[in-house]
Amino acid sequence: MQQGIRFIHKNNENAFGGAVKLISPICSSHPPQLHFLMANPAETPESNPSTPKLESEDDREEINGDEEEEEEEYEEEEDDGKPQTREDAIASRIQAESLFRRMRAAPVPVRVHDVIVKGNEKTKDHVIEAEVDVVREATTLQELLKASKVANFNLQALDIFDSVKITIDSGPPELPGTTNVVIHVVESKSPITGQIGTFTKAEARSSSLEGSLKYKNIFGYGDIWDGSLAYGCDHSAEVGLGMYLPRFRGRPTPFTSRVYLSTQDWLKFSSYKERALGLSLGLIASKYHELVYTTAWRNLIDPSQMASTSIRRQLGHNLVSALKYTFKFDKRNSPLRPTKGYSFITTSQIGGIAPDSRTLRFLRQEVDLRYAVPLGFYRAALNFGVSGGITFPWGSGYKSRASYVPERFFLGGNISPVCSLGGPSALWGFKTRGLGPNEPRREVQDEENGGTYERDFVGGDVAVTAFADLSFDFPVKWFRDRGIHGHVFACAGNMAELSENKYRNFSGPKFLETFRSSVGAGIVVPTSLFRMELNYCHILKKQEHDRAKSGLFMTFSTS
Amino acid sequence: MEGDQETEVYTLVARKPSFDLPTACPNCLPAYIYLKLAQFPFDLAFNSSFPDSDELPYFENGTYVAYNNEDGGVIEKLKKDGIVNLDAQLQSLPEYLSLKALIASWLEEALTYEIWVGTEGISTSKIYYSDLPWVISKVLFYKQTYMAKNRLGITKENAEQRETQIYKRAGEAYEALSTRLGEQKFLFEDRPSSLDAFFLSHMLFIIQVLPETSVLRCKLLEHSNLVRYAEKLKAEFLEASSSSPSPPLHSFPSSFTRKGSKPKSKPKVEKTEEEKKFKKRARFFIAAQFLAVVIYLSVMGGGSSDEVEYEDEDD
Repeated sequence: MQQGIRFIHKNNENAFGGAVKLISPICSSHPPQLHFLMANPAETPESNPSTPKLESEDDREEINGDEEEEEEEYEEEEDDGKPQTREDAIASRIQAESLFRRMRAAPVPVRVHDVIVKGNEKTKDHVIEAEVDVVREATTLQELLKASKVANFNLQALDIFDSVKITIDSGPPELPGTTNVVIHVVESKSPITGQIGTFTKAEARSSSLEGSLKYKNIFGYGDIWDGSLAYGCDHSAEVGLGMYLPRFRGRPTPFTSRVYLSTQDWLKFSSYKERALGLSLGLIASKYHELVYTTAWRNLIDPSQMASTSIRRQLGHNLVSALKYTFKFDKRNSPLRPTKGYSFITTSQIGGIAPDSRTLRFLRQEVDLRYAVPLGFYRAALNFGVSGGITFPWGSGYKSRASYVPERFFLGGNISPVCSLGGPSALWGFKTRGLGPNEPRREVQDEENGGTYERDFVGGDVAVTAFADLSFDFPVKWFRDRGIHGHVFACAGNMAELSENKYRNFSGPKFLETFRSSVGAGIVVPTSLFRMELNYCHILKKQEHDRAKSGLFMTFSTS
Repeated sequence: MEGDQETEVYTLVARKPSFDLPTACPNCLPAYIYLKLAQFPFDLAFNSSFPDSDELPYFENGTYVAYNNEDGGVIEKLKKDGIVNLDAQLQSLPEYLSLKALIASWLEEALTYEIWVGTEGISTSKIYYSDLPWVISKVLFYKQTYMAKNRLGITKENAEQRETQIYKRAGEAYEALSTRLGEQKFLFEDRPSSLDAFFLSHMLFIIQVLPETSVLRCKLLEHSNLVRYAEKLKAEFLEASSSSPSPPLHSFPSSFTRKGSKPKSKPKVEKTEEEKKFKKRARFFIAAQFLAVVIYLSVMGGGSSDEVEYEDEDD
């Protein structure tokens, strides 16, 4: 994607205190424009530029960087007239350098007079202007440059333009010390794009492969419509239609909505299949906060008719109307191989937000805390993590009512605890839904049945996990270059039931006594799609019926 | 009402009570009455979230479960498994089979028709959907009405003709049963049978649940001996449930064994052990191949360093 800021010089001695000559782009005999290109288009700038902290190295890099690209830019300029003379080019460069010197010395005051948007045929003006509002607040040239960078990033994040160019032009001649900001966008020619990727869905707690088709900007509001198909490792499938709006009725955060139909097959582990038809609305989505409202019709069925007592009781239809708030603060330097930093996530969910008292009423709270300490040799780092969660029904008779099985916690699976952020989910060495409260399945006189998987894991109302992981590079360069590294880990976790009056049997000492734990070591292979680990796990402690075995174990995680 | 604390307690899981009946669902009531006629002690539990399931009612004790959609129904399964059998000597009688066929086909059809089509489902909201939110109950109501019409073979073209046929057959069945019963206490000699359970459930449902405008109800009320039979049995067996249970009519072994025919194994066992193993191995093989290709492409082709490339922006 093309991007850049153009800084046009004009013949106006009044602007910038007369230190620099500005040259009009229309007059062809004038020297060429000087271009500032983005050093790193992917970096995330602050949304509000602070007082100009001029990093002289940055500027120097930019200036040096664009000297090579100047030719490139020059070729693409459509409104360039005849080729400029060599002397003019040198003169222009001298002027620009003196301007930069001045900029490095002190803030250059400037006022933004007007923001002009060009090139948008379909997109509404206000959509673009809302993303570049930040440039209006700039009071100095340095701030303006930073704000332009932010605005450029915001516009590209809309994902509906093929290219974005922001030009800082001088203002009308009768108003000295002003600039006009001209935004030239090129809208995407082909509104339909497709993509395939791997994601980790929070609810599914496993990786999934998702293919989607996006139709962009149909109505000109920056709207993106997508249809997607996702298939997860845990035998789940989902088809959905979504809509994304960057601005909805003047609200600062984007608005997303999604209609989905999903099925999850837990027959092998808990003897039920879950089908859901739902609508979810993303009300607030900012860097730290997320608020989502979901309403869904969920149906639990048991085609095998082998379920245990608790699961049998829960089969049927349910309407879920829930509000979920997530606060995420992730300061780790990488989600897949964190070596420094910490992160904190808390998710709160309340179900039963509906006038009808027959919707599912529950409360759910999850907390996840991570910390990574770099050790300084071989890029080694120590990662710690603690996460916990609790769920409970509310409403009349809440103490004796059973919590809804899909909303309970399940531990185990083939994802790595290091990467799965957001609540207790995985433990090395334990199979999917492989530990916790369990019940015997329906008795059947079947000689062929080898006695395996005769129990249903019904999940727990409270779950706690903790892990410690030491990762390090191998001394061999070949591995280091590819990011393949090793790790040694230990983890522990436990679950307990609280609903249906079982909280009376809950005791802290007993909970600690029945903690499951494992240790191990392995190799981590990061690929472009996912992070794969090949581990040897040794189960230190497990309870009867847990599905865990010491041995080789593979995990796949996506960010 | 969740009486599952000890494994010795038998529990019948049925749909919720209403209309002054212990369970208002016409499929669950026969099993309930059957157990009451046999004076078999059991607990009653309710499932109010699955109105379109044919598994209900089910009878359970620990890990033993008798679903209604297996082996001809809960009552048949209880008989087969030797838990409660009221029809021990009756099954060979020809009248038994013909009456059973009459009740199971004509009367059952008539009842289904009357609930979903004849009375347009007025009573269904209290029977099936009292605990479900409005949206779900509406959709399920349309679904169940459609399925009932399908089962009865009712189409737009033959609707009227089918209605006449159903009501006519029901009337004839009531006539036959009324003649058969006379002033006896039970349908067969002086002992309750499963047919009494089915017929009593049918009658109680029609009298107490269906509205007074129901054609079927009018037809039934024409036979006063049938109504008296229903009231007598209801008073003796159903309303006396609060009193202490009298010794059962038929003994059952304390640690029950499943005598008789071998119980049906897992309903969905189609593959043999070998096939399962083969399929599992094949899956692992394919997964390993795919993984090898992916790793080769990513690791050999790139050598990307620790940070994951910033590619999924619109997450």
